[in-house]
Amino acid sequence: MAKMELNRKTKTEIEDSSSLKGTLASVFLLGFFLIVTWVSVYFLFLDRF
Amino acid sequence: MNTLNAKIDPRDGKLVMAHFYVAFIALAVGGLAGLLQTLVRSGKFVLPAGIGYYQILTVHGVVLGLVLTTFFIMGFQIAATSRTSGTLSNLQRKLGWIGFWLMTAGTLMAATMILLNKASVLYTFYAPLQAHFIYYLGLTLVVVGSWVDGAAVLGKYISWRKQNPGQPSPLITFMAVVNTMLWIVATIGVAATVLFQLLPWSLGIVDRVDVLVSRTLFWYFGHPLVYFWLLPAYMAWYVVIPKVIGAKIFSDSLARLSFILFLLFSIPVGFHHQLMEPGIDPAWKFLQVILTFLVVIPSLMTAFSLFATFESYGRSKGATGLFGWFKKLPWGDARFTVPFIGMLSFIPAGAGGLVNASHQLNQVIHNTIWVTGHFHLTLATAVVLTFFGISYWLVPHVTGRVLTKAMNKLAIYQGVLWAIGMTFMSGAMHAAGLLGAPRRSSFSEYGGAAQATEWIPYQIAQAVGGTILFVAIILMLYIFVNLAFFAPKGEEEFPIGEVSDKAEKSPMVFENWKLWLGITALLILFAYTIPFIDMIQNAPIGSKGYKLW
Repeated sequence: MAKMELNRKTKTEIEDSSSLKGTLASVFLLGFFLIVTWVSVYFLFLDRF
Repeated sequence: MNTLNAKIDPRDGKLVMAHFYVAFIALAVGGLAGLLQTLVRSGKFVLPAGIGYYQILTVHGVVLGLVLTTFFIMGFQIAATSRTSGTLSNLQRKLGWIGFWLMTAGTLMAATMILLNKASVLYTFYAPLQAHFIYYLGLTLVVVGSWVDGAAVLGKYISWRKQNPGQPSPLITFMAVVNTMLWIVATIGVAATVLFQLLPWSLGIVDRVDVLVSRTLFWYFGHPLVYFWLLPAYMAWYVVIPKVIGAKIFSDSLARLSFILFLLFSIPVGFHHQLMEPGIDPAWKFLQVILTFLVVIPSLMTAFSLFATFESYGRSKGATGLFGWFKKLPWGDARFTVPFIGMLSFIPAGAGGLVNASHQLNQVIHNTIWVTGHFHLTLATAVVLTFFGISYWLVPHVTGRVLTKAMNKLAIYQGVLWAIGMTFMSGAMHAAGLLGAPRRSSFSEYGGAAQATEWIPYQIAQAVGGTILFVAIILMLYIFVNLAFFAPKGEEEFPIGEVSDKAEKSPMVFENWKLWLGITALLILFAYTIPFIDMIQNAPIGSKGYKLW
């Protein structure tokens, strides 16, 4: 049981240290923010002109 | 990399500090002018002694937008080149000094004319507003001086390449070279309008000026100018910050590619500043809008690379989860935290930029104070806070002193205070801009118009923000003086990051300047030749000069 746990921990660490999933999520959030800003002003434009 | 100097040669250091002294004097003068502007626009304050609002607006724009930036950037690029490619030769250093004195003389000439109220032509010095010829001559000297200064960096790069054939140049030197090239190509536009249009016109040699041609030449320069400000901040973000936090540079090739893309795409895009300008064919505006949107690519590459550097570092320190790495970053280190605030501000700044550059959306915000809010996020936060972050280690590195714990703490307060002040000021500018408040103009109730009444609370918020920012400027000046003259003697590191072992070796094609400058020239010719012929062939009679102040 203890041995199994040890193995699992080591595996998680190796996967984690090279993972860039936070970077992927951050870049998606950034892209989402850019699109939301653009679309908001676009609707303001449609409303006014 | 055998020429890497752990410490900059004191002779080069002296040249760097000369640039920084002028830059920080400019910060003091321009910052005060900015404070006064926000106070006047609140409607609660009137300038004493007959000083004009447009006069201080011109001081603020010219002194901060042109003087602080150009002097700081030239100093930083010389420092970065000297650190990574070796001490400048005597000739190169002499060029640096000649450039410095030419720029200083030009600054004094332009500043004198503004102070004498002979040149209140605003930051953009748009014709048909006409300044005294000494103002234009002074700005010409600033530009010519910067070319001579830049020659020192280019000269060092060329000699490094000769000594190290077949090797990619040190990354930060390469970046300084790209930025110098970008600057030289861009300033040809402003030099052309000043020498061939504004100087002869202000001297009375010709009566009239072609306004559209002069504005087009101004914006041919004006947009890459923004990138000339931004790329030194990117140098710090790509190369210095990884070392400060103890991480590696994510990819050398990615950094070089993004700089090359900025060189290619930041110049043939000036029309997006002139989207509301009559006399330019909409098809050419559309083309330049597309080219503008291509600049999004290197910007997002930079964002990706920085996130990746931070995440890799955090995970190497045992961070887990999606955003656990964020907590592992060294928040107590001003050399990291202050530029990081700048990076964060670049997110709303970039979003606003996309709005500005879109033809239809530009109609919503054109000539409103939204635009002022925008460039106070790009230049006056992202870039300037990074420059402050650089000063925290570069000034003591050069003066043989150290950033003490107390100063480090004060520097963090300074950065946070800046962020708070700018949130008030720039946030209020964006909001008021969307409600139609004009940029540049002094306080007015516009005859009691209901729409203008809506703007006033935002103008008061701008004054609150401006005041907080001015306190932050005083703190910054205090820290600068401390680091230059009073901090304890010691060794402060000039951090230069190393590339990650996992990154691929950079291909030599990045150093092929014939290729990159060739494509740059082709893109410029493609984007500007036909519209220029059109403007000149269908030119109106031209305008006489106006002095409205």
